[in-house]
Amino acid sequence: MALKALDIYKLLPKKNCKECGDPTCLTFAMKLAGGKADVDLCPYLDDAAKSVLGATTRPPIRLVRLGIGERSFAVGEEFVLYRHEKTFYHPPGIIFKISDTDTPEKISQVTTRVRDEFFTRVGADLRFNGIAIENTSGSADTFARAIEIVEQIADLPLVLMTADPAALSAALKHCGTYRPLIHTATLANRKEFCALAKLHGCPLAVSGKTFHELGQMTRDCTTDGVQDLILDLSPDSLQAFIVRSTTIRQLAITREAPDLGYPVFLDASVMDLQEAAITLGITKYASVIVTLPLSPAAAQAVLTLRQNIYTDPQKPIQMNPGLYRVGNPGKDAPVLMTVNFSLTFFTLQGYLESTRLPCFMLIVDTEGLSVLTAVAAGKLSEMLVRDAIKKFAVEDEVSHRKLIIPGYASPLSGRIEEATGWKVLVGPRDAAEIGEFLHEEWKQ
Amino acid sequence: MGFDLKFNWSGSVTEVTLGATNAEGGTRRISYRIGGGKTLPFLETIPGSPAPLIAFEICDNPQYWSPVVLAFCGDRVNDCGEWAKAADSVYGADMVRLYLTSTRQRNFSDVVSIGKTVETVLSGTSLPLIIEGSNEPGIDSEVFLKCGEAGQGERLLLGTAEAGRYRSIAAAALAYNHSVIAQSPIDVNLAKQLNILLKEIGVSRDHIIIDPYTGSLGYGFEYSYSAMERIRFSALKGDADLAMPVICSAIDTLTAKEVREAAPAIQDDIAVQWEFTTGLAAAAAGSEIICVRHPRTIPLLRKAFANLKADKISGMGE
Repeated sequence: MALKALDIYKLLPKKNCKECGDPTCLTFAMKLAGGKADVDLCPYLDDAAKSVLGATTRPPIRLVRLGIGERSFAVGEEFVLYRHEKTFYHPPGIIFKISDTDTPEKISQVTTRVRDEFFTRVGADLRFNGIAIENTSGSADTFARAIEIVEQIADLPLVLMTADPAALSAALKHCGTYRPLIHTATLANRKEFCALAKLHGCPLAVSGKTFHELGQMTRDCTTDGVQDLILDLSPDSLQAFIVRSTTIRQLAITREAPDLGYPVFLDASVMDLQEAAITLGITKYASVIVTLPLSPAAAQAVLTLRQNIYTDPQKPIQMNPGLYRVGNPGKDAPVLMTVNFSLTFFTLQGYLESTRLPCFMLIVDTEGLSVLTAVAAGKLSEMLVRDAIKKFAVEDEVSHRKLIIPGYASPLSGRIEEATGWKVLVGPRDAAEIGEFLHEEWKQ
Repeated sequence: MGFDLKFNWSGSVTEVTLGATNAEGGTRRISYRIGGGKTLPFLETIPGSPAPLIAFEICDNPQYWSPVVLAFCGDRVNDCGEWAKAADSVYGADMVRLYLTSTRQRNFSDVVSIGKTVETVLSGTSLPLIIEGSNEPGIDSEVFLKCGEAGQGERLLLGTAEAGRYRSIAAAALAYNHSVIAQSPIDVNLAKQLNILLKEIGVSRDHIIIDPYTGSLGYGFEYSYSAMERIRFSALKGDADLAMPVICSAIDTLTAKEVREAAPAIQDDIAVQWEFTTGLAAAAAGSEIICVRHPRTIPLLRKAFANLKADKISGMGE
């Protein structure tokens, strides 16, 4: 059971020494209660208090970092089952898999692609995150050589996929200082794998046939000094993945099974439908997803989905208010006013681009509310529109005085005309019909 | 300590029947009973839990349809009977959703042709149908009544009711025993409100499908995804006014910039991956009817849904 802030406070030294970085012991206690701080930050706790607090106050899912440097990424530290309850914090790393039996050319080509490829959407660069090397050959030398090729090309987070301690040991000689994820410790090799993970300070993926076996594995690993663990649930179907992953998430966030409070690993490349597995991995709590290199079409779709699902629902993505150009509009081009809710903006922009009629989009600040909600809440008003026309000097850009407003804003049309002196045309409610509307109504 | 999922849900998704076979007074070769879910999507442990339905969308005037789909489907797009037939026998859909785009022409008045079109599609396929009527309030009443009449006995799903505009469609559904799609703009409370309005004029809960509006992938899909999750959550928590099954139709997907501007060689692939990713994620969030426009998306979704079926013990608890 989670402790309340006041219960935690009672166990703290109450010195308000600030050495933990918080101004008072009480604020530190509140952070601990929310899983936002680590007990070890307090230098004055005795071991008994630590052991009481440690189990209940650390984040319910451990934060684990893969790789070092610019492209390293951290996963875990999630708190909810549904993104609308709060948000999902750490997007899963999506990692391309190669085999140590692949040709050096192929290994180089995949590594270079992960190093260089990115898509820009809504102002963010979307990338794949690392390279997984599978020890298909069974040879420690071949495995190490493949890793050497990858290492020469890029500083990317790696996943070392082997069951053989000798191969792992050879691989870690090349890349052990770069925090690769070791995959995977089983009952058979756990002792050796833990020793190597500890020696090189690397995160370790563990697997087990049941949750009890997994819990036993993580206990044994932490006892052996390896804390940064990742759970491979080895699902044999998409349904098994959803069931297991949801169970782990629920057990972890309710702290019912602290031994299972680690990020989840998913090898989509061994599933029947790789792209489906990635999609469900992104939506249903996977933190490290391994896949064969994806087609350009699938690559864009999964990176976009990940961006969508890991967008913070508490902060609607807003556009900066302003006058935006679609194509190269001239003095007689139409001006379409709408709100600064990003979804509204991008949807309308998409349809306007497909009409091939250059125009202006006048984006007013409704604090990210959609047209319908902004009208209902009084956030969209004639004053706002009037001020935006002035502020963005729309009257210098076009020679006409006609403003197209969204269909849902029609109740404001009269007042906007009075406040601005512009003639208002009420456009469609659905952006999909804007092409047709402009075609029929936009006659100079 | 047990290691099973524990939610203690008190509610379930309302069951809705779509389509009617001969025995049920219609002419469809199959009817579907959707809903009934007692937990989150794909966590059912009862074998035989229904997979989401895949509806293929067609229209009677392809002028504004995605050029990617028109090119792929060929000449049959000009004959909605043939197009519906292909959706069934070639593409392998579970349902056909007909958009009466012909009604969107200016000053449309040929309501008689609407009845004929619906009949053509009903004879083109023996799958259950979804019919999307006009989106011009002035002709709603006539159009929906015509659709309802032409599909009498077939338990159609009629679309789309909205908060300001639901009476005509509800009247047609009530008169001919069809179901209704109730759409609200990505807002759980508005969805609930509309369901209550529909209930008040006599549409029973087991004749309503919720459309929370699906923003396409990259264009607000996350809002729709969460709306779907919240609707399912409310249903399981026992809110009967939000317990109806959900339909996902990301109609803007194929006009998204990524699809529109894709290199010709991979344009079909992008369209399909975009639809597939959206449809599968929506199903994971709780949608039970997934609408698509590209035929190649159907087998991919079909395979994924088969892999999501509860046919064996999938957990790791003991």
